[in-house]
Amino acid sequence: MLKNITLGQFFPGDSIIHRLDPRTKILAVIMFVVALFMSSSFWGYLICFAFLAWCFRTAHIPFKMILRSLKPLVIILIFTGLLNMLYTPGDTLVRFWIFNITKQGVKNAGFMMCRIILLISSTSMLTYTTSPIALTDGIERLLSPLKKVRVPVHEFAMMMTIALRFIPTLIEETDKIMSAQKARGADFESGSLIQRAKALVPLLVPLFVSAFRRADELATAMECRLYHGGEGRTRLNTLKMTGLDSGALVFTVALCALVIKAGWIAGLLI
Amino acid sequence: MENTVIFADNISYSYPVEEGKSPVLALDGVTIKINRGEFVAVLGHNGSGKSTFAKHLNAILLPSGGTVYIDNMDTRDESLLLAIRSRCGMVFQNPDNQIVATVVEEDVAFAPENMGVPPEEIRRRVDRCLDIVGMSQYKKHAPHLLSGGQKQRVAIAGVLAMEPSILVMDEPTAMLDPSGRREVMSTILELNKQRDMTVVLITHHMDEAAMAQRVIVMHEGEVALEGTPREVFSQVERIRGLSLLPPQTVDILFRLNKRGYSLPLDGMTVEECADTLEEFLKGRGSEASSGQSPSAQERPQKNQRFCGENILKVDNISHIYSAGTPFEKRAIDGVGLTVGKGEFVGLIGHTGSGKSTLVQHFNGLLSPTSGHVYVDGVDINSSPQEARKARFKVGLVFQYPEYQLFEETIYRDIAFGPKNMGLDEDEIDRRVKRAASQVGLEESLLEASPFDLSGGQKRRAALAGVFAMEPELLVLDEPMAGLDPVGREEIISCIESYRRETGSSVLFVTHSMEDAARISDRLIVLSGGKVLTEGAPEEVFSRSGELLENGLDIPMVTRLFIELNRRGIALPPSVYTTEQAVEEIIKLREGGHA
Repeated sequence: MLKNITLGQFFPGDSIIHRLDPRTKILAVIMFVVALFMSSSFWGYLICFAFLAWCFRTAHIPFKMILRSLKPLVIILIFTGLLNMLYTPGDTLVRFWIFNITKQGVKNAGFMMCRIILLISSTSMLTYTTSPIALTDGIERLLSPLKKVRVPVHEFAMMMTIALRFIPTLIEETDKIMSAQKARGADFESGSLIQRAKALVPLLVPLFVSAFRRADELATAMECRLYHGGEGRTRLNTLKMTGLDSGALVFTVALCALVIKAGWIAGLLI
Repeated sequence: MENTVIFADNISYSYPVEEGKSPVLALDGVTIKINRGEFVAVLGHNGSGKSTFAKHLNAILLPSGGTVYIDNMDTRDESLLLAIRSRCGMVFQNPDNQIVATVVEEDVAFAPENMGVPPEEIRRRVDRCLDIVGMSQYKKHAPHLLSGGQKQRVAIAGVLAMEPSILVMDEPTAMLDPSGRREVMSTILELNKQRDMTVVLITHHMDEAAMAQRVIVMHEGEVALEGTPREVFSQVERIRGLSLLPPQTVDILFRLNKRGYSLPLDGMTVEECADTLEEFLKGRGSEASSGQSPSAQERPQKNQRFCGENILKVDNISHIYSAGTPFEKRAIDGVGLTVGKGEFVGLIGHTGSGKSTLVQHFNGLLSPTSGHVYVDGVDINSSPQEARKARFKVGLVFQYPEYQLFEETIYRDIAFGPKNMGLDEDEIDRRVKRAASQVGLEESLLEASPFDLSGGQKRRAALAGVFAMEPELLVLDEPMAGLDPVGREEIISCIESYRRETGSSVLFVTHSMEDAARISDRLIVLSGGKVLTEGAPEEVFSRSGELLENGLDIPMVTRLFIELNRRGIALPPSVYTTEQAVEEIIKLREGGHA
């Protein structure tokens, strides 16, 4: 049954990382990613790996989850690795056929792959430890200065919440309509590409009709519950920055500085 | 008047229509007054204007004529809009489409958040409202994982969080199973009795209306009847004339009167009716009739055993969802059953009993984790070809089938199944027309878009889509869910005309014991993924205690007879229709005098 899918990838928990304000986590991830791309030494990446490993352990996220989130990226990883390896000019290491593998190429390839892996696992860390609602809330609050230039920040956040709420409902509905049309002999699995695309009509039309009907009913229900946009709205769970958050932010800034300057520091020490 | 909280003064309303069509008045001069703390049920068949009336109570719709006052506030005054809506909370039919947030407590908080209530106060209200509806332990849950009754209680809590003084409910139980209905009704009663909430309940369940203090029956946009449930329901013939059915208990008394007895029509509840009947049966010799087998001769065609071939044989099947994951769930567990050729079987079970999973095995949509399914003697899971053949031999109508209509015209939609079977044009044409006539759709409607039909017509068009495949076994999953009494009768007659014309077998899934007992030859009761009991309706209902324990409803008539038995009146407890009940009561009474 499709009903059991988990929304996003949230792993409920009560670790320090779970307790951080979503804004802190979003900002920290952004800083971390910037630092990743500015760093150009293996020492920097080593620190990053060590730090992330600590995060995953503290938040009790199973190690295989990281592997799972990296799985779809294997091809991109290999591809970037190869491109960097083959097309970076510099001192030749190996030469075969028309290819020329250089020392710099290998180094670049290594860096790029580290960056991608770290990028994905750090953002996954964010979604593993922050519920979709908290995440939406955090984004809304972080972007709230944009309201002054008339960006409908609240409306975007509301849309996101509703989308999250209705994804499982619509998946379940898709499942049901599909079974019903199959019972009338519809065939979604065989035939040419065009035939298969055509076979989707009996699925998509009822799905859209139903989505519009739901949207209409939901809008009425929301109006009945006094929804009138973001103005004057309060929240049940207000986001509060605590000492923990300030600490975490200061720590992240320091860590990022360390990562960026890791090569230079290492040079001094060794 | 200080005590009047809702005052609809001669209101009219017509929905906007396309140009060229004449508008139809959905409300036509309706005047209704409702007092503080009152519990009013509004009845009426589909299209009677009852939902339109409800939508006027919190200014979703504004009257085109007349005025609606909520607590003396005119709903047309836009500056009062939020005040009116927070005073008058509204709960709708489909709980899924009212829940906004992804966590229960966030959803309940939605209205007070919109009102700008401070966070501490929101927290207090959320906790209190979830406690009132008994959903506190679910406050961190995701709504989509709750049952229908639970979702509807969350929706009620979400409205209560505005601290309204009036609660308007538009068919809140129409999409729920019996246990969900009981949950929601007891919540409503508690709100009305303990917390003095004014309740307006729109419904087409008579037993729910009987719990109200006052009943208003609407018909064609007007108030047709008004009074206490007793006053309204005792007008049995008038009620029928308004396309509604009186409660079975009142119906029994009414039928007895027609047979020349004179009984007061006091039978709003089983207990009340039992009181009246106890009085009526007093004085007769109590040992006169032991009442063993109830009127078997009445319906001889139904009780015959099917010794012929089976169209469907299910041999000890189990189905496990998401096997090997933490979500593993055993939906059905060792189920065996048969359906004979030409037989009409009712499959009964509450939500979660596995009945919807089970029926998808009959045409190979799901294959069992273990066990076998034979259609016409062939194991349908032996090869993909057999599974596909089974699709056409066993026609499966899902719940709310009207949501699967998709073609531009009804004709083409009905033709979808036959076309997939690879039939030629002439045959398809013949089948479409025949199916349309079986469900009572006129040929002139065939070229219309399915989306232009009324609710009941859509349902019938969807049935026709399966009928046109002319399956040898017709399986219907809750075909009458959400329809009013007239709509329900229409669906039953469609099924019966299909069966009569084609001689097919029917398996009919429902949680309404009354419907199942009335039209089936044999009942199969499913509970917790297993067959709990099976047999002829009277055999099954003679084990009523067992059914109740498993969260199933038993017909009101059966409950009445059990109650009378408890009071020492020897009536057979396995009776399930009003006709049978009347016969048994007369037999006992006359037998006693003889």
